[in-house]
Amino acid sequence: MKIKTIRRSVQIAVFLGMFIVPVLNILEIYFIKGTFYSIDIGSIAMADPLAILQAVVASKMFTYSMFASLVIPVLLVLIFGRIWCSFMCPYYLVTEMIDSIKKKLKIKTKKTEYSDHLTVKTNMFRLGFLLFGLFVMGISGIPLLNLISAPGVISSQALVLVKFGYVTFEMAFIITLIVLEFFYYKFWCRYFCPTGSFLSLIGLKRLLKVEKVNENCSMCLSCIKTCPMAINPMKDGSSVACNNCGDCVDICPDNKKTPTLKFKI
Amino acid sequence: MNLKERLQKTLSENPFKGFFKKNRLRPPGARGEKQFMELCIRCARCIEVCPYDSIKRADLFEKLQIGTPYIFPEDRACYLCMKCPEVCPTGALDNKLFEPEKVNIGKAVISQEDCLNFIYFKEEETGKITGKAMICSTCYNVCPFTDEAIVMEKYILPVITEKCVGCGICVEKCPVKTTDGKAVNVVPTGMGNEKDAGYYYRRSKILKSDPQKYKDILKGDKLIEKKQNISTFGEKKQFKYDFEINTSIEGWEMNED
Repeated sequence: MKIKTIRRSVQIAVFLGMFIVPVLNILEIYFIKGTFYSIDIGSIAMADPLAILQAVVASKMFTYSMFASLVIPVLLVLIFGRIWCSFMCPYYLVTEMIDSIKKKLKIKTKKTEYSDHLTVKTNMFRLGFLLFGLFVMGISGIPLLNLISAPGVISSQALVLVKFGYVTFEMAFIITLIVLEFFYYKFWCRYFCPTGSFLSLIGLKRLLKVEKVNENCSMCLSCIKTCPMAINPMKDGSSVACNNCGDCVDICPDNKKTPTLKFKI
Repeated sequence: MNLKERLQKTLSENPFKGFFKKNRLRPPGARGEKQFMELCIRCARCIEVCPYDSIKRADLFEKLQIGTPYIFPEDRACYLCMKCPEVCPTGALDNKLFEPEKVNIGKAVISQEDCLNFIYFKEEETGKITGKAMICSTCYNVCPFTDEAIVMEKYILPVITEKCVGCGICVEKCPVKTTDGKAVNVVPTGMGNEKDAGYYYRRSKILKSDPQKYKDILKGDKLIEKKQNISTFGEKKQFKYDFEINTSIEGWEMNED
């Protein structure tokens, strides 16, 4: 089975869940409550690590419940890497949808070509933006980066839409991103998203990595062409930019004969 | 507002944290506004669990606090079901608060000029009839802490006591709409107001503003000198009662034993 089918079904389930959970809560079934800033499933608490970090820095307080909600997300990232982005994030699904729409309409946008230089530059820019964001957040003294956390805003707007029937002004941010997405390929995920950058920092030494197992590959470079993060999966499998989406593993033609490009622990 | 005041306002006060308005409340159990803004990660869980749709997500009108939870008691007040404090992931709402009596999110204030009961009382006292007056008593009837948070003085005038938790139900149900909210409004806890500031703050402001006017006020050594001249000795003034004192009570006889 292709990784992409699993990925897409998880993505769609999460996307629909965003709308189903508020309905359940309106019916006073409080089993799952919350948005992608922080969510409770039963008694398991999970939260966006960056949101918790900001709250801790701003308030100089660290409560037991904050720590408890960090455990599962951090463990997930340490083992599987940034699968939050590729498997669950609703905004990532939106960008992929936009990509397929663009292919159908035959709108061509220049996808940035891969080069070693570019990978380093992208990573530096992402971390720089995260640090800059944290700096601004420190001055303001409130968890400000949550305002530009795309998955959180989307899910909370879905909640407001289901519960009250309107959306608040934060939706303007998402609409702007979607419009810009038509012109710049996955620019938010690759360059800006503070949540993604922070998760990739946590997952610097992750267990699950993409690796080229077989030395003698046919060098078709299809993995580089398909990589949504514009990195070289054969070399940069353990890079911070990789979000373990598995598109390269799916597309590799050599995998049919001998395992070449594989997820490896 | 001149430049200096404007600078003072923007630089001395954090625009993210100090934003108070009448009839805008945080959910029950909220910490002080500053700490609340530091801790709130805008996850909207309290909005999700609220069964009365009381808590709303702040929109652009709330400027930089967009995304944080608010109760607008004029639309829908808080009914103190106490579901929201325990779901807060960061403790911006006190997780251990379960008793509705201990909530303190604001204090209701009755405008005596607009309240129908007050108008009725006034008209009965003065004899002028305007036609507006009515015995309404809605706030007293809907209050969840009847005869504790709102008491009826003289059986007609609603008066808010210290036990008011600020749920805003009286605001929601109040039939009188004025240009400034309703006849009863909720003032959120922590609302900065110069009139409420301490005596020394006001005194220093006055002294700074017009020192010539307060030349007579004695300070330092002169004040001590004057105080030392005050003596407790000497003749005491005779105090006179303006009524007669009963020296004995009827039916009682003094026992001289």
